[in-house]
Amino acid sequence: MKKWLRLVTAAVALALAPTAAHAHLVDTRLGDFYSGALHPLTDLQQVLPWIALAVLAAFQGAQRARWIILVFPLALAAGGLVSLEVPLPSFGPVLGLVLVAVTGLAVAAAARLPLGVLLGVAVVMGLLHGAQNGAAMVATTDRVLFLSGMTAIGYGVITLATGSAIAFLRGAAWRPIALRAGGSWVAAVGIMVLGLNLARPIAG
Amino acid sequence: MKRDFPDAALPLALLMAAIPLSPAFAHTGTGVALGLESGFLHPLTGLDHLVAMVAVGLWGAQLGNPAIWVLPITFPLVMAVGGLIGLSGIDLPFVELIIAFSGIALGAMVAFSVRPPLWVAATLVGVFAIFHGYAHGRELPEAADAVSFAVGFVVATGLLHLSGILIGVLVGYEAGAKVVRACGAAIGCVGLYFLLGAVGFIE
Amino acid sequence: MRTRAIIARAAGAGTFPALHAASPAPGAHSAPLAATSARSAPPVATNARRGPGAMLGGLAAALLCLVMALLVPATAARAHEATMAVITLREIAPGRFIGQWTMPPVDMSLQPIFPPHCKWEPPELVCGGSGLTGRVSFMGLGSRQSVATIRVIPREGPMEVYTVSAANPSVMAARNPGTDLAVWRDLAETYVNLGIDHILRGIDHLLFVLGLIWLVKGGWKLVKTITAFTVGHSISLAAATFGWVGVPERPLNAAIALSIVFVGVEIVKLQRGQVGLTARYPWSVAFAFGLLHGLGFATALTALGIPQATLPIALLFFNVGVEIGQLAFVMTVLALLWAHRQAQALLPRWGAAIPAYVIGSVASYWFLLRI
Repeated sequence: MKKWLRLVTAAVALALAPTAAHAHLVDTRLGDFYSGALHPLTDLQQVLPWIALAVLAAFQGAQRARWIILVFPLALAAGGLVSLEVPLPSFGPVLGLVLVAVTGLAVAAAARLPLGVLLGVAVVMGLLHGAQNGAAMVATTDRVLFLSGMTAIGYGVITLATGSAIAFLRGAAWRPIALRAGGSWVAAVGIMVLGLNLARPIAG
Repeated sequence: MKRDFPDAALPLALLMAAIPLSPAFAHTGTGVALGLESGFLHPLTGLDHLVAMVAVGLWGAQLGNPAIWVLPITFPLVMAVGGLIGLSGIDLPFVELIIAFSGIALGAMVAFSVRPPLWVAATLVGVFAIFHGYAHGRELPEAADAVSFAVGFVVATGLLHLSGILIGVLVGYEAGAKVVRACGAAIGCVGLYFLLGAVGFIE
Repeated sequence: MRTRAIIARAAGAGTFPALHAASPAPGAHSAPLAATSARSAPPVATNARRGPGAMLGGLAAALLCLVMALLVPATAARAHEATMAVITLREIAPGRFIGQWTMPPVDMSLQPIFPPHCKWEPPELVCGGSGLTGRVSFMGLGSRQSVATIRVIPREGPMEVYTVSAANPSVMAARNPGTDLAVWRDLAETYVNLGIDHILRGIDHLLFVLGLIWLVKGGWKLVKTITAFTVGHSISLAAATFGWVGVPERPLNAAIALSIVFVGVEIVKLQRGQVGLTARYPWSVAFAFGLLHGLGFATALTALGIPQATLPIALLFFNVGVEIGQLAFVMTVLALLWAHRQAQALLPRWGAAIPAYVIGSVASYWFLLRI
């Protein structure tokens, strides 16, 4: 029962996290580290595929899943650094939505992927989101603090989500199904918004 | 199938954990929050959609393996296809009529505990999913924030399925099975009401 | 810097009661802290000498220096400041004030900035029911006009004086909340947020807590250790805020950095199979260092210039905020450790000491920077 308590607490914390994020968006009292950390959390287009990626990794077993805990934050930081020099590519928003749909579909299918493919998805996603967040910095933003905040939150979310998903999968047969249904929802969101984007491109 | 739910406390607890989501977003007033809120409320405000969605969960639970896991996983994807049709501007005919009719059909299936082959069930649910997604897809371009609107209605839809499945767990008990069938009958009646409304019998 | 603000404040207000003297009052008042530090320091030093690594001799010497520094009161205050500007606000009706420059500024671009709920249309200031509460600062403080004072004469009760300087650019205006719930809520919100803000920004405090978690691992023992740290820093935070003890900022910050180095060393020792002081008496060590860190928290609080009347309440809420922030941090770290164990993503044997060395070297760097 203790384990449940922990899982549920984690779920509640996750559910509440975006509220906390909004509270400081206007007035970032806590400095640029925290605005960097909160920026991705206010964008569901980033948080959703992060969690989907973590669940996808969990489906590959802990031995493989653990690599994304290392790789994803590094890619995120690299993407942030790249954004200092290179402007965002125009295909950015579409690629982001494709990643939502692809990770969602892979979770729905509970796909077994080679480690390279899993890490490749993690690297592409990290680079893209790192660049997108990095592009949100303004002239007065402390770049080092902002980027380290962003990397820290990427590490935190991916680690917590991967760990929770691995712990959750250990047990009854309905649990993978619950996660797969969740992946299917993520994919549905990705497909529909992608459709919207292609039918009527959104700026940015 | 009953044995797949050794600990009903967890899904319940998760459900409870998910509930703070909507009030938490209700007052923040940004695009993301507005999108989530309106998206979340969208499936809940149309009673015809709502009951049909619960019926999907109920029927899935009644049918047992493999429907119980095929339906929740494929439903969002089929719904997304319907959403794409809605986005593309294609006009599907008789949307209200078909949604009301699928409410009746699904309710009747549950009420009479019909066990058709999986593909029949999947087609029936799929047609409903397409039209349901279509109705949402039409709304998507007007949403304050498309992603959060989509997330909102997808979460609400999933919770409706989940509540259907959780009620459906009762089929393991003799009295519970009757409750489930009664729910099906009630859903059929709501569907009938909306059908009559759609063809103009009731204002 | 703090000393200057206080001198300025005293100069600005003739009738002004001795506010929370953040700089040490010479004599009896500084004794309690000095005694505590002296008591806590020797076991640290002896322990350090036994430990491995070249860093440790320096650690012991530095702690000695620290004790010396604590014993010597910091009274080096600048006697002369640039010209003053004083504005007096007289309350004519509840929440309504008439403001007048009692001592006009040299630079006429100097303007007071009142909390957002107040409307300042010189000479009238309308603050409504909650009164003049919140952050007050001045626009245009700079080289020509470095200090400005606001005197508030309420309809009831004693006059309150707030002084703002370039080094200390804003103060919190507040009044005794009495039974007014809205004012209580304002105070709570302001100071709880400040507390959370302070701990979450204070990377040195967080690093120390991280070190404690690493050392004690978890479970009941960790609860006791963190509680001891909390009790320790609450005591010294209160003592420093009320002006019972005072420590110059630089040696204090250096000592805080040193406490983190100490924890880093203890982690390495533990990993080498030696049972260090912290592993044996975690809660007493945490308590002793808590006293030290509390003094650090106090510098953030006293820098705001809080009026005497609300000081205990402000202190309470600030402390609550600090604990909320600290608890959130501890929970996050424990959750991450749990997730790492689930994913079997643990450091390999050869790398197990890396975090301890990172903590230790960062803290040593701070120490060198701060002495």
